[in-house]
Amino acid sequence: MKKGDRVFSLICMGLGLWLILESQKFEYLTKFGPGPGFLPFWLGVILGLIALFAFVGTFSGKRKNETNEPRLPGWGSLGRIGLIMLVMAGFAFFMNGLGFILTVFLFVTILLFVLEGVNILKSLFFGVMFSAFIFLIFRYWMELDLPRGLLGI
Amino acid sequence: MDSFHSLMQGFSTVITPFNMGMAAMGCFFGTLVGILPGLGPSATIAMLLPLTFGMDATPAMIMMCAIYYGAMYGGSTTSILVNVPGESASVVTTFDGYQMARQGRGGVALGISAIGSFFAGIIGTIALIMVCVPLSKFTLKFGPAEYFSLIVMGMLCIVFVGGKSISKSLMSGVIGMALGTVGIDVIQGAPRFVYDVPELMDGVSFIVVVMGLFGIGEVLVSAEERMKIKTINVKLRDLWPTVADVWQCKWAILRGSVIGFFVGALPGAGATIASFLAYGIEKGVAKNPERFGKGAIEGVASPESANNAASSGAFVPLLALGIPGSGATAVMLGALMLYGLKPGPMLFHTNPDFVWAVIASMFIGNVILIFMNLPMIPFFAMGLRIPYRYLYPAILLICIIGAYSLSNSVYDVWVMLIFGVFGYFMKKYDIPGGPMVVALVLGPMLEYNLYRALALSHGNLATFVTRPISGTLLAIAAVMVVVMTLKAGRMKKVLVEEKDE
Repeated sequence: MKKGDRVFSLICMGLGLWLILESQKFEYLTKFGPGPGFLPFWLGVILGLIALFAFVGTFSGKRKNETNEPRLPGWGSLGRIGLIMLVMAGFAFFMNGLGFILTVFLFVTILLFVLEGVNILKSLFFGVMFSAFIFLIFRYWMELDLPRGLLGI
Repeated sequence: MDSFHSLMQGFSTVITPFNMGMAAMGCFFGTLVGILPGLGPSATIAMLLPLTFGMDATPAMIMMCAIYYGAMYGGSTTSILVNVPGESASVVTTFDGYQMARQGRGGVALGISAIGSFFAGIIGTIALIMVCVPLSKFTLKFGPAEYFSLIVMGMLCIVFVGGKSISKSLMSGVIGMALGTVGIDVIQGAPRFVYDVPELMDGVSFIVVVMGLFGIGEVLVSAEERMKIKTINVKLRDLWPTVADVWQCKWAILRGSVIGFFVGALPGAGATIASFLAYGIEKGVAKNPERFGKGAIEGVASPESANNAASSGAFVPLLALGIPGSGATAVMLGALMLYGLKPGPMLFHTNPDFVWAVIASMFIGNVILIFMNLPMIPFFAMGLRIPYRYLYPAILLICIIGAYSLSNSVYDVWVMLIFGVFGYFMKKYDIPGGPMVVALVLGPMLEYNLYRALALSHGNLATFVTRPISGTLLAIAAVMVVVMTLKAGRMKKVLVEEKDE
């Protein structure tokens, strides 16, 4: 847990430093008050300082109820999450080209068949059902302008 | 009398088939997300928000509010039947609710939680009117300096009360505020942190951030291990508590309602803290406190009343001050702005029809919920039997549709996915997302009021402390900082001593 806190503090310190540097590109003060660079600069300073204190704090005494158990799951579960994200990224990548409804079919079928181990017929069935549901509710009833893709569906 | 007349006007606005339908739909979705672990009201409201863009603000807000308090009703179901809280606000209900279910009194626990929630919802809404109307008149005196100080105080409150670790909450809040600086700045109209990405000109959409952090992030946490839920079956005829049961809980419900409302009205405190506090107090005043944790019916009635009253209380800062006190109200505040309304005390004067219709809908929503919950809980509970592997693709798809519909652009989907990954790691490392979302909404408001206050005072910083209301708010904020610092120091000392021992 402490390792995770340290990493988060370090990321925040970096982010704070980056905010301070980037804020220099904008005017700090105008005639009557703060300029566009004012808030980012001070946010950078505050974030950097809090992160520094938090980082130093991770080296002090162990807290009550604190365990050394890793927060992240094993590689198997992480791989599963990675695959879900990959399938979602694929959805975002292909939805304009293939059309929303077809992408939903592929998304659901792949998730169920590859990740969840559902048999192919059942996966295809749920793929079709989800696509039909999305079509009826969101395209037909709510008239949302979802991408139609090459096939026009 | 004025308020009563306005409320009646509000009822006349709500009692149309469409508005009633939206209230019922909100109650249904709210109960459903409350029951299903892994998806909260903030993400649900954000997901459904883009789908309401075609309609008026009133029915849309009626639905969003109903989702919020409906989730509080539904949250108890999983706590009682599965020992897994559907909502963080229902964690404490597992203590006695699940024990009651194991003793064969699960139906009674569900029934008393619905009855308690109903009374708390009604009491909370009456209190909302009693507090909100005078408060909104008082806050009409607020200028930019007062708003700046109020936002500072509200932010500190959210940070100090909200998360487990103050430093993590602070960092989360500051990152949210930094995200709020992206886009065209409010002072000179200069693009900040845009890096030639045209979509960033409009800033980072808080709706996309909420869907990512609380929607995708939660799904990833739940999907990481194949979730299996075993429920305790309840029959419809077992759902009605006896008159003696209800009578036994009368003070628990009342105490829970009062505590819940006031805690809920504090920015950052919210329904979770309200339910824990109400449970603690109930145990403290009980003649036989040893019954608690072993299936005491008051141990269910009190926290369930508190979390429902807290959801009414959460509307006080939103409606009277125009600042959100939680993630869900932050989404609603943003929604109001998207509908072209200006949240804050002026709302009571510029859009009284809207405000009173929303308040009136809370009374009607609570009535719908008690009728929906008591007879239909076994049916809702059946939803828990749907395997998670079929449920999470549906949640992910609704998130994608919600993000895409914001501006019919895949860009928002990508941003949501990125925040989904952040949300997963934040959840895993106990970094609260609430302060980030609230700060993302409040950041631009803070900057705008800071600039206006300084412009009006010709750059005089003393304006923040010399104006009485602003000075008082900043003094409260300063006291909060000192108290929390001392408390943190004392805790550290105790921990070091513990380590030395």
